Amino acid sequence: MTLLPPGPAAPAPLRWLGIAVDMAIVLLGAALVLVVISNVVLHAFDLDIAWTTEFGELVTVWTTFLGVAAAVRRNAHMAVTELIDLVPERAPRLAADALIQLMVGGILVLLVWKGGVAADASWGSVLTVLDWPMAVQYLSLPVGSAIALVFVAWDLVQIVRRVPRQQRYAPLGAGTA
Amino acid sequence: MLLVFIMLVFFGLALAGLPLVWSILATTVLTIWSYGLSHPLETIFLTYIGGVEPFILIAVPLFIFAGELFSRGGVGERVIRFARSLLGFLPGGLGIVTVASCLLFGGVSGSAIAGAAAIGSVMIPALAKQGYSRAFASALVATAGTLAIIMPPSIPLLVFGYIAGVSVRDLFLAGIVPAVLFGIALMLVCVWYGIRTGCDRGGTRGSGKEIRSSFIDALPALLMPVIILGGIWTGYYTPTESAAVAVAYGLLVSMTWYRSIGWRDLPDLLYRSFLTSAVVMSVVGATAALAWLITVEQVPAMVIEWTRSVADNRWTFLLLVNVFLLVLGIFLEPLPALVLTAPLFVPLAPMYGVDPVHLGLVMTCNLAIGLYTPPVGGTLFVAAKIGEVGIGAISRALMPLFFASLVVLAAVTYIQALPMFPVWLLR
Repeated sequence: MTLLPPGPAAPAPLRWLGIAVDMAIVLLGAALVLVVISNVVLHAFDLDIAWTTEFGELVTVWTTFLGVAAAVRRNAHMAVTELIDLVPERAPRLAADALIQLMVGGILVLLVWKGGVAADASWGSVLTVLDWPMAVQYLSLPVGSAIALVFVAWDLVQIVRRVPRQQRYAPLGAGTA
Repeated sequence: MLLVFIMLVFFGLALAGLPLVWSILATTVLTIWSYGLSHPLETIFLTYIGGVEPFILIAVPLFIFAGELFSRGGVGERVIRFARSLLGFLPGGLGIVTVASCLLFGGVSGSAIAGAAAIGSVMIPALAKQGYSRAFASALVATAGTLAIIMPPSIPLLVFGYIAGVSVRDLFLAGIVPAVLFGIALMLVCVWYGIRTGCDRGGTRGSGKEIRSSFIDALPALLMPVIILGGIWTGYYTPTESAAVAVAYGLLVSMTWYRSIGWRDLPDLLYRSFLTSAVVMSVVGATAALAWLITVEQVPAMVIEWTRSVADNRWTFLLLVNVFLLVLGIFLEPLPALVLTAPLFVPLAPMYGVDPVHLGLVMTCNLAIGLYTPPVGGTLFVAAKIGEVGIGAISRALMPLFFASLVVLAAVTYIQALPMFPVWLLR
């Protein structure tokens, strides 16, 4: 039995990258749950974990942008697909998919570039309680976007190879959306 | 003009199938480039991060995780069994059970899609077996599933609280009466349908023993909203911490009481919850970036000026909010619609004497209706898929339920005391 949902078929390095992202999301999520619950329990003893807020925000930002990459890999982002679903399968649909992924790729390049510049400029500022550089928090955007860009590039390769949509992703099925 | 450009670009990209988060970010960037605005993209992207970051929003993944724990733990079936033993004897009883189950499940999951999927997968086949048309059964689930985002804990209300700087406790309290009213209205349609079609004229009343045993079985799940609201109300924990309490309680109930979840299930549940949260939060963050651009370009001031020229009293203002959000809700999911429009409407509320808590509630109710307004909607698609019916058929069957919901929406909008009564009582 696997502990995490299986990902889509891909070359080994991409599979490992996908698994690493998935595991990071689970570990960070578990840490967040434990810290916030512990802080509530400590209230009963008039105690407080001072860094809960900063740690919580840091972890939320990282899980979000790593989650964005994981959602790109699984084609799980919210989208209005009713019109594009009317496009016939095969060549026209593949062309439409390629166009969409090129647009996504363009936005991700901007996020990696400009997000990286913003993160780089924030090494001098620190989080008040944790005393960690702000860049640790802001790096989540370029890092998550760079990983998402890798998955988008792989999807474009598959589109060029005319792999149909059903075989390109491993959707999670009905979940809480 | 700027707002029209933004709307055109955004809807053009979104309707072309570009995922919402990228449509919103692309719209922001294209607006800056097209109008030659001087805002650096670094600032825009820092606002994107800032839109995800606030501590109160940590409650989003935690509430989703708590909902997953209860959903996977078989709470849906238990809640249905309890509602059936209590209400199944009424005319239209099985429809009423569906609505009651969605309402009770909503108090646990906070997710309209999860509610429609969990209750619909059990109830749509049961309703069809009873003689309800599959289209009506699916339409009922699509409609009732949205009670989850009005009933506390509601993620849209939580996000509105953060944007508008309004007490989440008050928003949660204000959600209770409207959720129940929407539920009652849908139940009345079920009674009418059951009698008119003759498919469900009512049956025998459940025995006291049956009601008691099903109640005890469902009780741990039914207590969840009480625990959340109770803790926030007494001030023992904040709304964010209440989400952590919901997770702890969900773990306790699912692992030790129901014994339906083991340690090995937790990584998968955590992953699904945080992935869903990432999808939602990234849209919230991207919308915050677009909302920032709209704000610094003085669009809210223009909207305020325009609104004051067309709406000279609170009734026309609220009507404007209703019409605008009902139309927007057809195309947009509740959260991005809320993040995008709240900065425009919230500053207007005090000018018309509208309590911001009331406004948040009205906005959320409108956007809940948008989830099943044909031809596009989250719960509409889930229910149509489970019921194996076409969008045309489900849309026709939906009409009486839709009009019943509009009546309640009007009541909630124009009789402020309905949603605000519990807030005033406990303020």
